[in-house]
Amino acid sequence: MSILIDKDTKLIIQGITGREGTFHAEQMLNYGTNVVAGVTPGKGGQEILGIPVFDTVREAVEKTGGNTSILFVPAKYTIAGIYEAIDANVELILTIAEHVPVQDMMNVYHLAKSRNCRIVGPNSFGIISPGESKAGFMAHTIFTPGSVGVMSRSATNCYETVAMMTENGIGQSTVIGVGGDMIPGSTFVELLPLYEADEKTKAIILIGEIGGNEEELAAEYIKNNASKPVIAMIAGKNAPKGRSMGHAGAIVSADGTGSAANKEKLLAAAGVHIAESTVDIVDILKNIL
Amino acid sequence: MKLMEYQARETFKQFNMSVMNGVVIDNVKDIEDAVGELQFPLVVKAQVQVGGRGKAGGIKFAENIEEIKPICEKLLYSDLKGHRVNKLMLVEKADYIKELYLSIMLDRLSKKPMIIFSAEGGVDIEDTAQNNPEAIIKVTIDPVIGVREYDAYYLVNQAGVDKKIIKPLFEFLKNLYEMFTETDALLAEINPLIITKDYQLVALDGKVDIDDSALHRQKRILDYREDLQEEELLLEARKYRFLYIPIEEDGDIAVISNGSGMLMSSIDLISKENIKVGAALDLGGGATADRIKEAVRIVMLNPNIKYVYINIFGGITRCDEVARGVKEAMKKTSSDYCVIVRLEGTNKADGVRTIQSIGSQVVSVNGLVEGVAELVKRRK
Repeated sequence: MSILIDKDTKLIIQGITGREGTFHAEQMLNYGTNVVAGVTPGKGGQEILGIPVFDTVREAVEKTGGNTSILFVPAKYTIAGIYEAIDANVELILTIAEHVPVQDMMNVYHLAKSRNCRIVGPNSFGIISPGESKAGFMAHTIFTPGSVGVMSRSATNCYETVAMMTENGIGQSTVIGVGGDMIPGSTFVELLPLYEADEKTKAIILIGEIGGNEEELAAEYIKNNASKPVIAMIAGKNAPKGRSMGHAGAIVSADGTGSAANKEKLLAAAGVHIAESTVDIVDILKNIL
Repeated sequence: MKLMEYQARETFKQFNMSVMNGVVIDNVKDIEDAVGELQFPLVVKAQVQVGGRGKAGGIKFAENIEEIKPICEKLLYSDLKGHRVNKLMLVEKADYIKELYLSIMLDRLSKKPMIIFSAEGGVDIEDTAQNNPEAIIKVTIDPVIGVREYDAYYLVNQAGVDKKIIKPLFEFLKNLYEMFTETDALLAEINPLIITKDYQLVALDGKVDIDDSALHRQKRILDYREDLQEEELLLEARKYRFLYIPIEEDGDIAVISNGSGMLMSSIDLISKENIKVGAALDLGGGATADRIKEAVRIVMLNPNIKYVYINIFGGITRCDEVARGVKEAMKKTSSDYCVIVRLEGTNKADGVRTIQSIGSQVVSVNGLVEGVAELVKRRK
């Protein structure tokens, strides 16, 4: 078992004919991902790596039964691509581009909710259920099948953690790149219940960072609902004071929301194991598994 | 991208919000013409993005043309807390009966725009948020519904402001929200928003922050960027789509990484050793050898930097590209620098071989922690 993607996932790649799209389509196929279709407007009817290409997501869904889509398209075209996938009733949409305009993402976030569609990203490396399937551009060689669920706002901190886990013989159930943008399609608190319900997952790692309040919300959920051990690491304890948002920024964070200290405090109070840095995560795992 | 005050004022005006009459000058000779039909007394405001501008002497009042000239001459091109004053804004002094606070920001919790309103506007609004949070009224906007008249009623009632301003506030709200969406703002803040004697509202000062990811479709705002006083290295880095982040002025280490998460982790670990990091540079994903070369060059332009820690965990970024870029960069680099390179991920073996072939100035390390340990050793 795993969450969100597995052997049965039927993956559509939007932008499959682009340089990155083709390169990673091959990587995913080699990993064993069930890639059923590609989509590039104007290139319908072609085949790439033996995968049929369609002009539209709707045709790809109708002809192949694709239920998950990943977008290998530039930021400028990302929102249009997400709208198309939502409109074709794709259940899970993964988006990797950096620099997607925040207000676009805000509108898409609420639309997706109303259409029962789950978005992961943007600014995400995708999702991998090691040994089963990967949808994204992560360097899959560092991952290994196992029972620890990992979700991370940062790709690099996630790779770092996963590589150390694998070196120490600790595998992963499903690893999710939540993405580093202001408005992620799925937040920690929306993903935690999936890990909680997954039989294979025995422990959960949450890699967060300063800013926003996703970790604070996760703490609230964990306190009331989580039965599995959770380890959290918050990056940015020594980051320079970031872009302060006028007085409004100070007003909404008047209670400390957004700082590493506040996040760690609330998570610890919810019974979460706090790792000082990625390096400490494995030590904590060894103690609790 | 944060706008300067005069840019925010122009934008408010463009979206039909009342502002005080005024002009912007960048030359003292222009004063008489510029002042033209403005009504004294006037306020002279230095256009610099620093906190505590008034206390630092960046805001002055003048009763007549004789008074304003020396004020402008003294202020223009002067240094205000390390920022050169290139422009002055001259505006009519406002008569008001009350200062309010009004902003719309992107609320990360609800993932919707949020109106923040208070009857306690002015410089002490942050203290009010701390000490008297009930005086701050927050209302989220559903983008499907937009701003409605009932929002104005609600805000005025909750904040305990004179009901005479309900109609003008509703107009302001509609315009501010239109500006917020049309300009891809993350924040559109008016502080203070004043109530005049005849119960009209006027925006006296404001802060506007525009989403950098949307600048490609905000032509007019993008033109403003030239007037912002940004650090040279930041501008240089931007040419190559890098993010350069100055950290501690006297730090002698620059950290380069392919993601903000790894940068933050590296800085956290280095800071734990009580070492100051001078700068960080985020490559983003997928940097090629050509761009890596530029990244190394750019951080070395900072005269305090003696050590460079390159920390790459490559997915879409390839280690061999990084290594070739470093090798190229080192051809033109003096022997004073020490560069520590940690490569992991896609094409690691290739990359490490290249790094090891460069020479004694460049050290290849295996792992984030080993890199920090090497840094500590080298600095002794």
